[in-house]
Amino acid sequence: MANTLDRLADQVRENRIWRSIFRSGTGESNLHRALTVQQNVFLHLFSVKARKRTLEFRATWYLGALTFGTFLILVITGILLMLYYHPSVPQAYADMKDLQFVVSSGVFLRNLHRWSAHAMVFLVFAHMFKVFYRGAYRPPREFNWVIGVVLLLMTLLLSYTGYLLPWDQLAFWAVTVGSNIASAVPVIGAKMRFLMLGGTAVNANALLRFYVLHCVILPFAAVVLIAIHFWRIRKDGGIYPGESPAEGDAK
Amino acid sequence: MKNNLHALWQLFFGDSARAFGSASVILLVLLAVAPAKNYFSEWRHYQKQYLHLIRGRADAVTLERHFQGGIQQIWIPEQQVTDRCTTCHLGMKEASLADVNSVAFREHPVIPHKLTEFGCTTCHRGQGAATTVEEAHSATEQWEQPLLPAKYIEAGCGQCHLENQTGTPFLNQGRQLIVSYGCTHCHTIKQGDGIYLTPDDDPPSLKHIADKTTREWVYAWIKDPQAYAGTATMPNYHLNDDDARDVSAFILAQSTPLEPPLQPLKADTKAPADPAAGTSLYGQSFCASCHAMQNAAGMMVGGNVGPELTGIGTKAKPEWLQDWVGNPSHYDPGTMMPHYRFDAQQVVTLTGFLESKTEPDFIANVHLDPATPEQIEHGKRLVVENGCASCHDINGIKKPENFAPELSRIGSKPLNQLIFVEGVEHSLPGYVAGKVRNPRAFGPSLKMPQFKFTPQQIDAVTTALLALTDRAQSQPPTMRIASVQQTRYQPAGNAGQLMRDLRCFTCHMINGHGGDMAPDLTWEGTAVQREWLTQFLKNPETLRPALIRRMPKFNLTDAEINTLADYMMTVYQTPEFDRDSLPVSQFNPAQVEQGRQLFYSKFACQSCHIADYKNDKGYIGPALAATGKRFNAAWVYHWLKDPQALRPGTIEPNQHMTDDDARSLTAFLMSLKSGGAQEATKK
Repeated sequence: MANTLDRLADQVRENRIWRSIFRSGTGESNLHRALTVQQNVFLHLFSVKARKRTLEFRATWYLGALTFGTFLILVITGILLMLYYHPSVPQAYADMKDLQFVVSSGVFLRNLHRWSAHAMVFLVFAHMFKVFYRGAYRPPREFNWVIGVVLLLMTLLLSYTGYLLPWDQLAFWAVTVGSNIASAVPVIGAKMRFLMLGGTAVNANALLRFYVLHCVILPFAAVVLIAIHFWRIRKDGGIYPGESPAEGDAK
Repeated sequence: MKNNLHALWQLFFGDSARAFGSASVILLVLLAVAPAKNYFSEWRHYQKQYLHLIRGRADAVTLERHFQGGIQQIWIPEQQVTDRCTTCHLGMKEASLADVNSVAFREHPVIPHKLTEFGCTTCHRGQGAATTVEEAHSATEQWEQPLLPAKYIEAGCGQCHLENQTGTPFLNQGRQLIVSYGCTHCHTIKQGDGIYLTPDDDPPSLKHIADKTTREWVYAWIKDPQAYAGTATMPNYHLNDDDARDVSAFILAQSTPLEPPLQPLKADTKAPADPAAGTSLYGQSFCASCHAMQNAAGMMVGGNVGPELTGIGTKAKPEWLQDWVGNPSHYDPGTMMPHYRFDAQQVVTLTGFLESKTEPDFIANVHLDPATPEQIEHGKRLVVENGCASCHDINGIKKPENFAPELSRIGSKPLNQLIFVEGVEHSLPGYVAGKVRNPRAFGPSLKMPQFKFTPQQIDAVTTALLALTDRAQSQPPTMRIASVQQTRYQPAGNAGQLMRDLRCFTCHMINGHGGDMAPDLTWEGTAVQREWLTQFLKNPETLRPALIRRMPKFNLTDAEINTLADYMMTVYQTPEFDRDSLPVSQFNPAQVEQGRQLFYSKFACQSCHIADYKNDKGYIGPALAATGKRFNAAWVYHWLKDPQALRPGTIEPNQHMTDDDARSLTAFLMSLKSGGAQEATKK
């Protein structure tokens, strides 16, 4: 049974179409395995080799991967939600109502997006705590730590800009309060608030601005930073293996 | 046990392949919840119930053909209506389902609008977009406006209909109460058409109050106005004894004497020769058309245009009464009361009669010491704080502006802007009704006084207020049916002055200005003959057999009557036809006889009218026995052809007569020249 499956898989991998896409080919050699990673646009961000120990649960609790997972869910559900949503004052709240009452599984879609967003914020913090307490932020990984901090900021901004989009009382007042806090900055406070809202009050311009931030600018920035974040793991010597040399080099 | 659990764990999560498989299955099951919830949604349940219901009925085939599954909606973007109510309320348009017990599936009661014209939430409120009962009907965190309770449903009509409608008695009454209780002295109410509601309660000026009444009476009145007169519209401010003492002190202190001053009582004629003379003069003058008075049996008899007179002798000083009866305009130039031209004896008689109508108990227990300056000062402060000058003219106090919150959009006020107290239902109708019922319950420091309303009146006022919504304010003008607005018509010249002195417009409407107690006189000059008019002004008679009330006799001089008759005959003519265009001499006896037949058989006019007092019993319309003396033939003819064209809204039916029929009937009616109603009473 197992052999049949393996044979079948090999047949597929040696197929011409497969080979035209994945050029690395099959093979058990180190070269082949390295090529598989190197020649894939997604996988080449990662090292071709990793210490087995760093892949175990206790090393990272998979917090980074889980964060990335929630990010993917958010992108997918977010795109689906965009199909039903107009960032305009009279329509935005009505669109929420349509999602709630007439769109098939619309409530599920919204809730999935919302809870994933909450989960992502939680996971980002957990990830950072884990990194911090294991000491993985230290050189040579200090730049990646900084990238991570910026990604935390991105996550929070995505959360905040998404908060306004339902255009209900909660959203309106949260952003009113938030933008007022921004205006408390000395000297440039009022200008900052104006820039944020595209006006002096939370209104149509603010809604559009937050929509563009939430759906275009911030996700794009996040994707770029995530790519750099992943790439730097490889460049900084893979996932931090832990402090003790005895522990670290045993295998 | 522990081993069993361990074995189970190994079975499902033993190695990575098993763990991946198990986790995938769990995830799949969890994901299946979403489409399942979608499928078993509430509205599908109701549609099944509906199908079950109609399948058992005789017209099942028709009903099933009308049935459409899936989510239904009425979508009117320009009115911001997206109503999915008909997803569950499937029988709205099915007349055969009028008898169904379940409200959900019953036919909508017949209304003058198509259901798809305005949607559902325009009138009923609630959340139109929702497809669950809870969300659609109730107030939730995401939707504050629940269904409007059925008893306030006329508020829905009032958003567009600013005029009185026969189908909305409650709304009409509420609007009338808002106006007649003077709510808009303090609260601004701007209707959707931009017109501000103006009060018509005519609160008296207090500038010369000391000439009219005593401080004791003022004290007792402001303590409880309804204790003096149950019909009083002044609200109760719940003043304590000291405050009432100080307010009465200030009110009396600010009063200045009338200019020219009141005449002393004519002592020699103080007692009328005949005690019944006063009662009879009161009756003959038809004071009761406007004023109410309790009769011996304790029943309130009379109109509500003027104040109740049951205890007038306790309230008004005799000198003031004598002055007022002689010429009300002297004390109050803006009064609605006509200037009766009573002779000296009649003034004394009526003054004596009114002076005898006392309620001594009302001020029996009031003993006030002379006011100190501090008390007067304190009284002034109270008068300012309570906004007395919003309604009354008071010397030295300016009418406050924006004294109370504007109510133009009260029907859409968000709940989070309202402060509720215990015992008040947490809803907008509950709040509004609670405020109307007992404003002070919302806090002792609130200024709004207590109006005396019956529960039914409270609901009516609440209905009228709930009609003042955002939608009413912001919808396009084409949606609105405007209220009938009074014009500013004023007759000119000597006649105009005379008509104002007689306060004709208190009862009569002319050119869109005036009251509705008596007939519209806009085209009276076309309608009647001059001789009849002068006779009527000299000695008014009852024109309708079922009506006791008639125009009062004003003791006009011949010169005044001539002025009025000339003016009315000249000015109040319709441009549509000439009143002399149909001379009576044209008619021949055959036409008269033909008309008589038409009157009694074809059109059966005698069911409402009287042509012959001996035989006819029609009490609905005016008696026609004196038509030949009263009307012009051209008017009668055109009236018969199309009554509504001459007087919109008259209940006289349009019989669509042929010209010949109308001419014959006119000939017959013009041949009726018996004495009129007075002759009938002699009979």
